[in-house]
Amino acid sequence: MSNTPPRLSHVPPGVQCFVGDEARRRRLIEERVVAVFEGWDYEEIIPPLYDYAEVFAGKALSLKTYSFVGRDGSVLALRPDFTSLLAKIAAGRLRDRPAPIRLYYSGEVLRYEPPKAGRQSELHQMGLEHLGGDATAADAEVLAIAAECLDRLGAQSWVLAVGHVGVFTGLLAGSGLDPDAIERLRERVEGKDAGGVREVLEGSRVGPEAARAVLRLTELAGDASVLGEAARAFEFSPATSAAVAELTRVVETLQAAGLGERLAIDLGEVRGLDYYTGLVFRAYAPGLGFEIGGGGRYDGLLERFGRPMPAVGFMLGLDRLALLLERQGALPVAAAAAAENVSGPVLGEALKNARALRTAGVRVRFGNGGGR
Amino acid sequence: MSLTVALSKGKLLAGTEALFRRVGLPFPEGEGRRLVVSMDGLRFLFVKGMDVPTYVEYGVADCGIAGRDVLLEAGSDVYEPLDLGFGHCRLVVAQLRGSGFAYRRASTVRVATKYPRVASGHFLDRGVSVEVVKLEGSVEIAPGLGLADCIVDVVETGRTLEENGLEPVEDVAVSSARLIVNRASFHARRDDVGRLVETLRGGDEARSQTRTSVPLPQRGEG
Repeated sequence: MSNTPPRLSHVPPGVQCFVGDEARRRRLIEERVVAVFEGWDYEEIIPPLYDYAEVFAGKALSLKTYSFVGRDGSVLALRPDFTSLLAKIAAGRLRDRPAPIRLYYSGEVLRYEPPKAGRQSELHQMGLEHLGGDATAADAEVLAIAAECLDRLGAQSWVLAVGHVGVFTGLLAGSGLDPDAIERLRERVEGKDAGGVREVLEGSRVGPEAARAVLRLTELAGDASVLGEAARAFEFSPATSAAVAELTRVVETLQAAGLGERLAIDLGEVRGLDYYTGLVFRAYAPGLGFEIGGGGRYDGLLERFGRPMPAVGFMLGLDRLALLLERQGALPVAAAAAAENVSGPVLGEALKNARALRTAGVRVRFGNGGGR
Repeated sequence: MSLTVALSKGKLLAGTEALFRRVGLPFPEGEGRRLVVSMDGLRFLFVKGMDVPTYVEYGVADCGIAGRDVLLEAGSDVYEPLDLGFGHCRLVVAQLRGSGFAYRRASTVRVATKYPRVASGHFLDRGVSVEVVKLEGSVEIAPGLGLADCIVDVVETGRTLEENGLEPVEDVAVSSARLIVNRASFHARRDDVGRLVETLRGGDEARSQTRTSVPLPQRGEG
């Protein structure tokens, strides 16, 4: 708000600088996560830092992009996320590659965020996309990979809260609600605010059966028994029943793989309706108030780039992981090995010795003879 | 590990204490000045009402009790699973009685308020340009002194408005005390949080009377 010009020493809001142990911890986290991605045979993509703004246009994210006009007059945007870029590459340069395509990334994104709980404008995201595979298998695979990442990092007591946006959209299909009312309703369902849901539904044309069902979304959260409850409660709606059945298949697959304890069902998880089309999930752990990462199924995105294909993916926020692991005392960063001082009266001689020691794997500090 | 609950030191405190005692939850005794109190498996943080959502959103507190007015202003990303049925009030637009001011005819409406986000949203939604004068209190005197055309503020009885020559002209929102829960705590500490929610749910006596249009379906047993 202040109009005082910043001093040269000020750091602009939204960006950070990491030094020493902090930087080492981040590097270590990235290495572990990337090793998991590689272990599941995902292929790395290093996409450009900016692209045409239109690439990122189809999402709520476009409100958050830093866009600028290029020298040739084209409108460009710093990447606010990776998924759109990977979708574009999969549909373009990798067009001839048969599905399923498994891709991962690790890097910074930039998005405008008002300074708030745990949000920065420059974020490091590590994530992957599974494009064009069988839905249940792919959904289960990405959830299992997310779980393995958190395990490998030594995070404790984490859960993956899973939902399915088709439950909500199925209940409202043909409801006659305008997009504005649907968005207000989505917000209230998202907040598990039964009173707020009632307020939006009062006087609307949504029938009593669907209204009661939408209301139930605010409380259908908990262990896997929620899915059985949902199947009974939503029997009247074929679209919603199908969504619940889809989610149930994924959950049962993960239970059979021994990951059932890590799952929390949340049918009120309905963020990003303009984007997600099926499974959605968020990773949470005590000690950090906000999600560590999340993802879901976005079957509509690839079509924008001319190669319609089902897709599912997720990302973990490096910044939040670092904070969580530090708070949980997990993943201690080993101190750097002690360095050997190498100096001498003859500079060239000393440098030669230092190089020999380095070749032998010793950490050296060269020419410790003062200076400014 | 015990649950941490953020509570307002302000006008919701008495209602919160009554609710906790009614449902048999512990609650710190007396008029102490300690802001962090642990007892019987709960840790209480006594903070400013407007700060409750902040403590909960950051996860420093697992749960909190805040007025809906405060939640609308804070816009926090938290769960609001329970209307606790006390602390009812309204957020209204009020102006000098008999002034005949009609904000829709003004090029820009100048509004004094403790709720800048709610106030500007209200007028912007109606296509009116708005200039918000943010005050920390005694908002009611602003129109009489010429600081603002109108105010957006909470009213319970309407007496303060009346005493300052104001009348409510439009409702912005209705408010009551809400239980809010941190998103991570809700899922990662499901059992503890679930127990607290259910205990508090049982204490809302007014519940069945305030909700009639779309009744909550009965939860199936088992």
